[in-house]
Formats: sequence, C-alpha cells, structure tokens
Amino acid sequence: MTEVPKIVHDRLRATRLQGSLPRQSTSGQGVSGPTVSGQTVPPPAHPDADLLTAFAEQALSATERAGVLEHLAYCGDCREVLALALPNADMPAVPGATDAEGDAVALPAKSRWNWLRSSTLARPGLRWAALAAGVAVAVSVLLLHPGKLNQATLPSTNPQVAPASLPAAGPPLASSTVASSPVQPSTTLARTSEAPAKPELQMSKKLKAGSAASPRASQSGQSGMMLAGNRPGSAPGNTLPAPSPAFSPSEPGGSSSRTVTESVDVAAAAEAVVAEPSSQDTLMARNAMARNTTPAIEKAKPGPEPDVIGQQEGLAYAGADSAGLQSRTRNEMAAAKLAPSASQALANHASSSQALANNVTWTIKAGVLQRSLDGGQTWQNTLHTDRPLLCYASHNRDLWTGGQAGTLFHSSDNGLSWAQVQPSIKAYSLSSDITRIEVRDNLRSPAEIVVSTSNNEIWSSTDGGKLWDKK
Amino acid sequence: MPKSAQSALEADAAALYSRSGAAAYGVTAEQFAAILEEILRKYLPHTPAHDSALAAADNSVEKRNGFCAALRLEELALARACAAGNERAWQDFISRYRQKLHSMALHITRDAAHAAELADSLFADLYGVNARNGVRSSKLVFYTGRGSLEGWLRTVMAQEFINRYRKQKRTVSLEEQTEEGVQFAAAIPEPQYASDSRLEAATDEALAELSSEDRFTLASYYLDGRTLAEIAQTLGLHESSVSRRLDRLSTGLRKRILAGLRMQGMSHAQAAEALETDVRDIRLNLRSRLLQDSDAKTFPGNKVPAQDASDGTSD
Repeated sequence: MTEVPKIVHDRLRATRLQGSLPRQSTSGQGVSGPTVSGQTVPPPAHPDADLLTAFAEQALSATERAGVLEHLAYCGDCREVLALALPNADMPAVPGATDAEGDAVALPAKSRWNWLRSSTLARPGLRWAALAAGVAVAVSVLLLHPGKLNQATLPSTNPQVAPASLPAAGPPLASSTVASSPVQPSTTLARTSEAPAKPELQMSKKLKAGSAASPRASQSGQSGMMLAGNRPGSAPGNTLPAPSPAFSPSEPGGSSSRTVTESVDVAAAAEAVVAEPSSQDTLMARNAMARNTTPAIEKAKPGPEPDVIGQQEGLAYAGADSAGLQSRTRNEMAAAKLAPSASQALANHASSSQALANNVTWTIKAGVLQRSLDGGQTWQNTLHTDRPLLCYASHNRDLWTGGQAGTLFHSSDNGLSWAQVQPSIKAYSLSSDITRIEVRDNLRSPAEIVVSTSNNEIWSSTDGGKLWDKK
Repeated sequence: MPKSAQSALEADAAALYSRSGAAAYGVTAEQFAAILEEILRKYLPHTPAHDSALAAADNSVEKRNGFCAALRLEELALARACAAGNERAWQDFISRYRQKLHSMALHITRDAAHAAELADSLFADLYGVNARNGVRSSKLVFYTGRGSLEGWLRTVMAQEFINRYRKQKRTVSLEEQTEEGVQFAAAIPEPQYASDSRLEAATDEALAELSSEDRFTLASYYLDGRTLAEIAQTLGLHESSVSRRLDRLSTGLRKRILAGLRMQGMSHAQAAEALETDVRDIRLNLRSRLLQDSDAKTFPGNKVPAQDASDGTSD
C-alpha cells in the first residue's frame, strides 16, 4: 500500500473533532457544539447509535448516509465506535434467532483469530487468485487468439527464427523426431509441389503466405477457420458430414505430409474436446465451403493451414524439439478453450446492452423492488415481499434481490416471474439480512452470485442459486 | 391531512403493527403507532409541513410508509416492550441477546474481566436499574429500529466502552511506551515542524478537497489503523476497492500537496523536499500528538466523571 506523506496523517489528526459524543439519553442531538482544532468545520452532532448501526448495515438513505459519512470523516471517536461495533464474524449473529450458543463466550482468542483469518487472509487470497486468473485469461486470449496480436507477433518472429535455427534443427528433423519432422514437410502443403528438399526456401514463402493469409480472412473468421481446419480431422463424421476434406489434398504430398495431418490431428483432437458450439457457426461456414467447392479447397487451404502449421513451425523451430510442440499444443488448447468463452462474454455484453436499450432500471424503495421502463421517470412495483427488500443485483436478464431475514428472490426473465431462493448448507440456512448481492461475471455462465449478509456471512453460488457455498 | 391519505396511513399502520408482532408483548396498536410517530418525527422532521397540499401529503405518506416499512419492526417492538417492562419481552430479549452481549463485550474489550463488567453494566442500563422517580428508565427506549437491534447493542456498547475504558487503556499504553523508552522520542520539540506553515496549508487544502467518504477511508486506514477488511465492511465495499481507493488517494494527495506548494512559489524540487523532509520530522512528532490526544473529553456521561481529572498529558 502506498504510504501517504506524514503531514497528511498529522493534518488529518489535527482537524479531528474534539467535541463530546452524546450518550443515549440525549435523543441523538449533540450536547455541546464540538470544537475543532483545525480550520475545517465539521458537522456538529454525533450521530446516535441508531444511525451508526444503520450506517454500518448499509440501511440508511443516501442523504442520511452522506451526513453520517461527513461526520465520520472528522470524528475519530465515532469511527472507533463504528469499528468496535463491527460484528464478529464468528458470532452466530442471526437477529431474531433464539440463540443456544453457550460457547460463544468461551472462545475469545480463538474466535478472534478465526475472524482475522477469514476476513483478512482468505478472502484477499481468493480475490487475488481470481484476479490473476482473469489477467491470465485476458493475456492468453490476446496472445493466442489469432487476432491482431497474433498476426503481429507470429510473422515477425518466425522469419527470424526459422532461417537461423533451421540448420541446427535440420538433423533432428530428418531423423523422424515425432514433433518436429511433421512440421518441416508441412511447408509443401502450400500447394507448391516441390519436394521437401529446400525447406528453408519453402518456409519463408510459407510464412509469408501465413502472414498474407491474415488480410484474406477477417480476424474472427480466421480463428474460426483455424478451429474448423482442425475439427474435421479430429472428429470425422461426428458432427461434420465431410470428414477432413481440408486435409485430403495434402495427402498426395507423401508419407511425410501424412504425418503432418496426424500431428495437426493431435492438436485438433485436443482442441475439439474443448471447442464449444459458439464456434460452430464459423465452423459450419468453413465446412460448407469445403464441401461444396471442392476445387476451392485447394485455394482455401492455405488460409487455415498456414495458421496452424505456421504456429507450430514457429515454435518447433525455435524450440526444435517435441516438448516445444507439446507446449504449443497445450497453449492452443487453452486458446481454443478461451475463444468460446470470450465470444460468450461478447454475447453477454450484447444482451446486457440490449437490456439497456430497453431502458429497464431498477431500484428498491421502501423495501419494494421497483422497475422503470423509461429511465427513471415512472416506477412500477415489481416485487413486494413479506419482509422489506434491501438490495438487488441485475445481470442481463437475471435479477436477484434480497432483504431482511434471508429473503432472496431470483428472476431469470428480467423480473416477469420470481422464485424465492433459500440458500442453505447442510442444516444451516441463510436467515440473516441480506445487505448486498453481487453478480460476478467471470466469463462464466451462469455468473457467480455472491450474497453478503448483515452478520458478515458470504454465500455464493456458481450454478444460478441451486447449490450454495458459505464463507 | 386528506381523508384518503389518512386512511391509507391507518391501514398501513395496522399492517405495520401486525408485522411487528408487538401485540404478543402487550403493546397496543395505539402505543405502537405513537412509537412510530416519534421515530418519524426524529428522522423525517419535515413531514408535517407538507400536510397542506394533497400531492405533498400523498408524497409524504408514501415516504412515511416506506420509511416505516424499512424499520426493524419486530426488534423495535421487542425493544420497546422491554423498555415498558413487559415480562415476556424480557424473557425473549434475554434468551436472544444475553449471551451475545457477553461475546460482544469480549470482542470489544478483548479482556475477560472488562468484558464482564461492560456487559453487565450495559445490561443493567438496558433493564433500567437506575430508577428515577420510581420509573425504570431503560436504554432500550432509544432504539428506533433503523438498524438491527443486535448492531445497535454493539454500537451502544462500543460507545460505552470508549467512554469508560479508553482513558484507562491510554494510560496502560503509555506505561508500555515508557517501558519501551518511547518517551524520549516524544520529547522532541515541535517548532522544527511547525515552522513550515506552507506545507500545512497545502495539505489542509488537499484534504479539504476530498469527499467525506474518501476522507473517512483515509483516516480509518492511516490514522486509526483499520484493516482494509474493516473499512470495506463498514462502507459495504470490497477490500480490493478500498485498496484501490487508498492507492488513488495517496498518490492524488501527494500530487495535490506538491501542486499546492508550487502554487505558493516553491520550485518542484523544493516542494518535493519539503514533503520528504517533513516525513522524518512528523514521524516523531506524531507520537507527541498521539499523547496529547487524550485531553479531549469524549462521551461525557453521567457515569464516568471520575477519571476526567486524572488526565495529565495535555499540552
């Protein structure tokens, strides 16, 4: 954490309130006008216990909250009260529940440590893990998704790498190393029917073709085509009626080029496992093209294949061993896995922007969930529950709202129909006030629902509210 | 008040009354309505003024109803019934909160002996032992149901604790400091720092520009030494947002102070130096500031007049 200059500490302290706090007997109004040693004038009266409690439980209206905050900004004593009064996470603090815990007093130190651990260590850890995962996803999508970045890096590195490392890598290539030998003849696949005697020359041509392929195919199309090129080889006749038409023209190339097909298959098989229907449309398009225009295949072929092979070449020559290829394959698997989720996320965003276009806004007023279809001009009561609602969260058409005493409702159709949800684990169910609901869109579907309660429980569900986990 | 609004209010009051379960504790609908009225007067002070115009009245009725509906009616009924001395309410209160009061006290005081004392004294206050004119006056009569009863109990207890034990705590920590030899550091005189009023002014200016929430966050973290988790919990945010905000605030403040110093005619290097040299001075100076702090008479209450005079560390 960045430190602030010490003068800031000092001035913060200097302008703190030096007045006296009211006790309960004064109905919340300040007794004497508090004085301040700095020049800033703070709001006068200390908020009473009721307001402070409601503030800590996020139950104040915006204006009241602002007033309390303004006071707290200057009043160290009230801040201390607030901090001391924070609920102890280990205390089964279900308001209104008849408590039978006799051991609550018996475990002071232990409970404090538990509380510390759960609130300060475990949660940031998880959060960092999630953040790291998010960054990893973003980075790998950018790097491996054959979009802009890939085109930029791949052609630029390969020409340099290939000529330099090829002589060195030559012998292992000849001596049937499983991974690298298929790569070398792959250059011939570019429909230049020369023998694989001059791989260097072919290579550079090929690489140019690879980079030249990018303008031909649109960026998203390219990724789709890459998947499509792989798919027919790995899953012949499964979903695609024309098994590996893309590869058939390459077979005349000889036995070595067959190994190419096979090595591609390895990668393709792995990718096909994780490939999801969201890539199907480009897949189908590619497939249809392959089926209908057989002569065109040979022309179309350099499109997808340079991509796949080009990538493998880049790494196989750089690493010049099979391990390199394997890691590459793994990376591609990851890329393939990510591609669908990314497109799904895009779809999500599309639908959320659609919801925005419909101008549906939500609010909770007096414990009732209200909806506005005209950007806040008029409001309709949408959900009126037995207990007052306190918070809500929306995500696309999913809407969650929670309130006092464990009231939790979910609507998956933008508020048209509602179902009550009762989170529970074993014998323990959520029964305290829900103060906050968060929908974490981790590029997953359904998004993770995180529900916080007034007594510091955090419940989460990753399957849309069926199974719950409690922290 | 217009008839329709009046009847709506009455219907609503009945609904609120039944929801609160106050009847079980022997609180009549009229009494409960009076309690609600009192709370409304306290938190929505402008309500009666709008009665003249129909629209305004409707609006205010809606507002009132909304406000009441969001209250913790059951807990309010329980608390007020206890304050009124209803036996059943007390039984309920004790079974629900007696044990909790003790664990709260332990949480706050972190000391078993003090915890027992604090919990017992609060319990006595709640029960209203200190009878005046033969009428028990229970502290529970001040609970208004804005937050949970349990949260309110914790807050009241925390206030009581600060009231009662803070000076004592300070003294203890002073002794500890003495044992550690810190008092030598505290003896460093102030003028060296106080000389640069420009830095002080620039800092005050930068701090004044902060929103109260930012200032609260800043003070909680740097001044009070709260953890990110505690601040996050108080503000209803996540720790990561608090952490980001603090980073943003500290860098922003530094920039603002530097800019303020340069506005006063310092060069960039001078300003930076002023800020940095100051760091060394203030660290020592803070200690003395800390010690002076206990001269504020906080939470003056009828219960703790005894220790006030013992405050010897003032400047």
